[in-house]
Amino acid sequence: MKVGNEILNKSFFKKILKSKGAYFLLLPGMGLFLTFILFPLIYSLRMSFYKWNIVNPGSSEFVGFSNYVKVINDPIFIRAAFNTIVYALMTVPGQILFALMVAILLEQKIRGRTFFRVAFYITVITSWVIVTLVFEYLFSGQAGLVNFVLKDVLHLVNEKIMWLANPILVMIPLNLLGIWKGVGWSAIIFLAALQNIPPELYEAAIIDGAGIWQKITKITLPLIRPTLVFLVVVLTIGAFNVYISGLLMTDGGNPLDLSHFILTLMYKKTFTYLDFGYGSATSYLLAAFIFMISVIQIKLLRRRVEY
Amino acid sequence: MKEKLLIWIAVLIVSVFMGTIFWLSGCAPSAEETAFETSAVQETEAETAEAKESVVEKVAITYWHTMSDAEEVALKKVIEMFEEQYPNIKIEPTRVAYDDFKPALLTGIAGEVVPDTARLDIIWVPEFAEMGALVALDKEMEGFDEIIANTYPGPTSTNFWKGHYYGLPQDTNTQVLVWNKQMFKEAGLSEPPQTIDEFVEYATLLSNPDEEVYGYTMGGTYFWAPAPIFYAMGGEITDPEITTATGYINGEKSVAAYQLLVDMYKDGSLSPYVLGGGGVGAFEGLATSKYAMIIEDPWAYPILKSDYPEFEVNFTLVPKGPDGTTSSVVGGQNVVIFEGSQHKDEAIEWAKFLLSEEAQLTIGETGAIPTLTTVQGNERLPEYYDVFMEQLKTAKARLPHPKWSEIDNVLNNAFQYMLRGEKTVQQALDDAAEEINKLIVEG
Repeated sequence: MKVGNEILNKSFFKKILKSKGAYFLLLPGMGLFLTFILFPLIYSLRMSFYKWNIVNPGSSEFVGFSNYVKVINDPIFIRAAFNTIVYALMTVPGQILFALMVAILLEQKIRGRTFFRVAFYITVITSWVIVTLVFEYLFSGQAGLVNFVLKDVLHLVNEKIMWLANPILVMIPLNLLGIWKGVGWSAIIFLAALQNIPPELYEAAIIDGAGIWQKITKITLPLIRPTLVFLVVVLTIGAFNVYISGLLMTDGGNPLDLSHFILTLMYKKTFTYLDFGYGSATSYLLAAFIFMISVIQIKLLRRRVEY
Repeated sequence: MKEKLLIWIAVLIVSVFMGTIFWLSGCAPSAEETAFETSAVQETEAETAEAKESVVEKVAITYWHTMSDAEEVALKKVIEMFEEQYPNIKIEPTRVAYDDFKPALLTGIAGEVVPDTARLDIIWVPEFAEMGALVALDKEMEGFDEIIANTYPGPTSTNFWKGHYYGLPQDTNTQVLVWNKQMFKEAGLSEPPQTIDEFVEYATLLSNPDEEVYGYTMGGTYFWAPAPIFYAMGGEITDPEITTATGYINGEKSVAAYQLLVDMYKDGSLSPYVLGGGGVGAFEGLATSKYAMIIEDPWAYPILKSDYPEFEVNFTLVPKGPDGTTSSVVGGQNVVIFEGSQHKDEAIEWAKFLLSEEAQLTIGETGAIPTLTTVQGNERLPEYYDVFMEQLKTAKARLPHPKWSEIDNVLNNAFQYMLRGEKTVQQALDDAAEEINKLIVEG
């Protein structure tokens, strides 16, 4: 305790002096951070206030907040934001639910446990590009497996469904893909949390006559709460950054620019239409939004549980 | 003492980093230049003596492109020929995937590391020219007029923007009708359609939507796909000076062209997967008798030949419109020189060389149609080029305008609205005209 107080009493500058070695060692990392993260961040913030001229940045025209106004009033952006929020609302709970189930199953002492743990993680290490193309084939209108099963095997529909040509239906494969690909990662994180729960708690619960449902709701869930908070925040940030799957499956917003996500729209505006101001403004709006959501989530969900 | 020293070192390192950042971002160009000049002067002085006896140092010219494997092999030969002729120049080619090409170039421009030369899709030249990224070749290149005098006017026109030519047409292509002879025979037809009326009639005859067999299909709704029919029907996007779309894209002939395709879609002779629902690919469907006709570019030949060796590939001109003329759309790429190039003179030599007969023929053998009129019919070129060369005489270039990517998107969406029945053809094109006008005026 005494040592702690001593450090607290000193000024910031003196603290630097005190822990000189650490700060010195931080420098290379700081340098990389400044060069490749902070500098581009500030540079694009500047771009978002200009009608940016990429060849001759000096002659760019300052336009104040008009890029931001343009973005917010753009119906295509509003639709993209809507699609992205729906994606987050579907995939975050979806991933957490399935991941928790998988983690609890993988925690049991079953034969071939290691095999299943690897198997569930494989989806995580596959490339987004490849699995997106696989889902695109599955949901392809003319020769897709999903249509084949629905129409020719189960006879649930009379006509083949054009999943990819319909701006609402195309969201189904995209959301399913988002859940499917993320479950393995969340499951491994859950698994680590589950292994930290002392087995005595469960043993005591059994003696008290608790069933499996009570064990999960009264012991497991409260004790893995910090992990849950972590996953909700990280998965939400990930969901708002959905990009590759959307870009490939909708070919950049097709049909009618109705199936964009925020990032696919940003990419198209920036690199296809060369509107760098619009692109930068979009990314800053997205960042601000994600920051806000994360703060709210952490405030709402963080509560200490002690047993 | 030690602590102070450490702080000083820390401050020094941070300032070096910050300095580097400013230098990279080009905030201090004058300092950079002087530094380079001084060292350059010192080096030259030191090396003058040696240089006098030994060979002159080679100038490296970078050349970015999106070539196929076969073209790349041919390019290697062309580079060898060039370097033999110009021993002081070394060509460094870089292949970039088509979809990554524009972002890669833009990043290069922003970071001031552009290639000296590149082979750009023709639709991008006005865009980069408008940005100020390209060298106006008619001003800088000696003998420019003589070179373009021997090229096809269609491809060459795609280099023109605001009074200057910003590139040379390196290769060209267009789309022609490819038809499945077997299917025609089974339907009692012996010849491909000559007119648009026949085209529609045959397409209906050859279709059987219940079996998912269609008389005609297209790769999608982006403008390149309906463009051959659109131009054959006399359609226009804007006036020749590109000042307005009103009365052109929503004019009688343009509307008739789109109406024809919408009607075909409705009666099931145009595949419904044109909407983008993931249908069988055009080549695959043609070769497996799912589609009777497609309109495609020269790559159809090598692709069909390698994937379906049994299939008999038959090309013919795009059917004639009501005016009695055939037409199609011009594609291809142009060689350009970037303003950021440090060796413009050498880059110009390379661009000129790519337009030489030998270079054109060498790359032309692999599927990229030459732009020189002087090599037409040359025995080194594949026979199937003849129909494409013939089609090129009447083919039209898409709007050479920096906003083309956005205009293309407008037309794509308009076509989708019509096919989905959300707007009538006239209504969709009236709206499109308004949007295109806005894009043209904004410049």
